Amino acid sequence: MDKIEETLDAIYGTPAMGTEVLDRLRHSVRQWQEAIWYDALRDTAVGPLLVAVSDQGVVAIEFGTDEAGFVGELEARHGVTAIRSMERVSETMSQILQYLSGDRRSFEIDIDLRDSTEFQRKVLEAAVAVPPGYVATYGEIATRIGKPQSSRAVGQALARNPIPIIVPCHRVVAADGSLTGYSGAGGIETKAHLLRLEGATIA
Amino acid sequence: MEVTVGASNKKPQFDVLVDAHAGEIYAYLWRMLQNEQDAEDCLQEGFLKAYLAYDRLDGSANYRAWLYRIAGNTARTRLRGRLRTGVLLSEEHSDSSLPIEQQAENTFQLEAVIQAIEGLPYKQRASVILRKYQELSYEEIGMILDTSAESARANVYQALNKLRTQFGNGGALPVPNLAEENSEVA
Repeated sequence: MDKIEETLDAIYGTPAMGTEVLDRLRHSVRQWQEAIWYDALRDTAVGPLLVAVSDQGVVAIEFGTDEAGFVGELEARHGVTAIRSMERVSETMSQILQYLSGDRRSFEIDIDLRDSTEFQRKVLEAAVAVPPGYVATYGEIATRIGKPQSSRAVGQALARNPIPIIVPCHRVVAADGSLTGYSGAGGIETKAHLLRLEGATIA
Repeated sequence: MEVTVGASNKKPQFDVLVDAHAGEIYAYLWRMLQNEQDAEDCLQEGFLKAYLAYDRLDGSANYRAWLYRIAGNTARTRLRGRLRTGVLLSEEHSDSSLPIEQQAENTFQLEAVIQAIEGLPYKQRASVILRKYQELSYEEIGMILDTSAESARANVYQALNKLRTQFGNGGALPVPNLAEENSEVA
């Protein structure tokens, strides 16, 4: 070993990683494993679009709201860290954009209804079963989940749909076919827009 | 090349990679950045990037080289952004068991060598550290730095030779006719 190598050894020696550095990294990894990942697009056909996914599937979609509010609500509701990642959300985001531009009719994506009750879950899954271009009434959804008297509760469950567009609550209409209530931004206008996009005939 | 049937579908849990490689990746980052806080920041940032890309990683990949590559690129970005304010020698570089004059002389020598190393092309410096201190193969160094194994070998050789020439220890070895002395081999 020559002098230069000795000097290099003195410079590069043996930098030991402190256990606290490893502990902090492990802690971060646990947070990432439970994290919800989100991304935001400022300008889409439905306004600003916010999408959040977990390892299990899409957790939340909002449009017309601001990023800080969306993130705060996600973290409060699920008790996890929300981290922005274009990479994690890109598949879901691009399917939504294709849908909004009329290039896609159905979604090939898992959904994660982690904070929904058993009843809400049944309602939302029944809504997913309504194909694009068609509509169902609140009463029909109620019947489909075996609770024919609960069309009012069905309406409430759909109003709290955390994943609009992908869970197509816009395809559920009143008994007379009229478009009642849409909690997303733009209200009934947006509901009509999405149905027209799918080629449904609107009464 | 060793082929293990069915192994491609059995990627280890990400936690396993963290426990297996975080220590050496941290050491590499510390060596490249010469600063504990920057090394930890890049460790966190690099592992987050790796975590995000892990699903798409081929199960037959060299995980170790892959992690070095991501972490190394993170450090490189940080080095580019860092203001060139010179290197602060940390306490751990001086050996307090030596007489004070000797310490001062050694420190002077160290600073000069550190400056010379910092002045090397990035891939030469990284190659020396990866080969001599992280003990990776030239194949792996090639994967990490986007070069061939041969270029990695040449980069280590040229870096050491340049330092020897500059500091005149034992005389310079002949420079191989691979590339101009001052350019890294890509």
